[in-house]
Amino acid sequence: MLKLIKLEWKKNNIGKYIRNAAILAVILYLFLFSFAFLGIANDPDTGVPDTAPGNETISPSIELFTSMSFLVFTGVMLASFIVSAYKNKTMNLMFSYPIKRQKILISQMLAVWIFNFTALVLTKLVIYGGILANSRFLESAFPIDFDMTGPGFYIQLIVKAMVIVTMGFIALFVGMAMKSSKATIITSFLLIFLTQANIGDLTMANNTVLPVILTIVSLAFAFLSVCRAETKDLT
Amino acid sequence: MSYILQTNHLTKTIDGKELVKDVSLHIKKGEIYGFLGPNGAGKTTVMKMLTNLWKPTDGSIEILGETLTPQSYEVLKRMGSIIEFPTFYGHMTGYENLKLHCEYMGYYEHGSIENALEMLDLTSAASKPVKNYSLGMKERLGIARAILCKPELLILDEPTNGLDPAGMKQIRELFHMLCREYGITIMISTHILSEIESIVDTIGVIHHGKMNKEISMREIEQMSLAYIELSVQNPEKAAYVLSEKLGLTNFKIVEDGQIRIYDNQVSTQDLSRVLALNGVSVSALAKKGETLEDYFLKLTEGGEKEC
Repeated sequence: MLKLIKLEWKKNNIGKYIRNAAILAVILYLFLFSFAFLGIANDPDTGVPDTAPGNETISPSIELFTSMSFLVFTGVMLASFIVSAYKNKTMNLMFSYPIKRQKILISQMLAVWIFNFTALVLTKLVIYGGILANSRFLESAFPIDFDMTGPGFYIQLIVKAMVIVTMGFIALFVGMAMKSSKATIITSFLLIFLTQANIGDLTMANNTVLPVILTIVSLAFAFLSVCRAETKDLT
Repeated sequence: MSYILQTNHLTKTIDGKELVKDVSLHIKKGEIYGFLGPNGAGKTTVMKMLTNLWKPTDGSIEILGETLTPQSYEVLKRMGSIIEFPTFYGHMTGYENLKLHCEYMGYYEHGSIENALEMLDLTSAASKPVKNYSLGMKERLGIARAILCKPELLILDEPTNGLDPAGMKQIRELFHMLCREYGITIMISTHILSEIESIVDTIGVIHHGKMNKEISMREIEQMSLAYIELSVQNPEKAAYVLSEKLGLTNFKIVEDGQIRIYDNQVSTQDLSRVLALNGVSVSALAKKGETLEDYFLKLTEGGEKEC
């Protein structure tokens, strides 16, 4: 399985994605840095951050922007690894190999999952670490509300990253059903709105049950995507 | 007689439309099998089922002594195939694409990639990314990939598409060599019979999803496709003479004064003598042969008229 995953990375030119993920991480860092220390989110009249309720501190913003970006990134990668492989017929080639179709699909999904999970965790660590380090010298417009010393912080960070990246499988399922890369990416956008956005006071971002449900739904969709492959005709 | 590939009443229905109906193919070990049919006859559909990409609605397939099921993966190791147009990973070079193929097939033999590239004249292009290849080069790389892992059975769907005449000749020779020297059984589909006429041992003709005829080249040769063409002023009288005086039955009047005699017992000398004696003036007399192409057209078009 590990070998199949490595081959997937090689085939899909993983170097390009590493570069893009790194660029994304830098942009996110600069953006959140400006949020905290350059006051771009401050209301010009009052000089305090103009935020939605519950987002007065820095960590919700960090969570929101990193999750959002990497969910879309996962959608894009799933689209190009799997959905477009069906479209440009390289899947026909893959399915002519003496390897179970399910195994091929799982390896492709894992290839994307592992990459994005790693990238998201690293990006978050860099941003949290960077902002914490800078807050010793500069004054942050948002209160620093996290503590990087205890294990709780890291466990939470990893679990959240897992949930976000796994949600990409919902987008994959929709994309595969509609045979469209665009649908995959658009679905990942919609998922962000569902989980992160708020309408007035109404938001699902702080709901603890929702991520659990979404993860279960995502895994169910992932399972469905894989299951149907074995007997389905390739068109 | 045991066959390396055999289908029994293979049928594929998609959305109520029968793409392939009741096809029974028989391919012997070590032969080249030409699978012929006009465009849209169902050649690719059959080949997709043979390579397990599509699952048959009805009927069964036996390959290399095994009945194909959705779980048949091991048998794929012993086959090489090109279905429709070969696909590659464009950003990788020709060599890398073949290497990847070896990895997936679980085939590691030193020098096999170089060897395959050389057979298809691609050695100089091997280090270029495939996206810069021409159509013909991609087709040849596809063939290189299909033969790379020394398969026992090659299934090639219109492998000469996009090749120039010289390239086609080269590929034909390559197939002939693979079959004779390595004992590889090859199934080639095409809609142009003349492309493969010289190398095939058996042809199967498919039309409108149905198998029209399966016949070995030897049988075709024995079948008297040769005929004598006769041009006369008065065909009715000539026909009378042919049947009454010469006792011929296997002839037909084609068009204005032309008669084709399929009976190969009678000599042209006898013919002209008897006809002249009976007062039929012959303006032309020639021995002709029906080409395989005509035969093939007759099979496919004839089927259409009967419908």
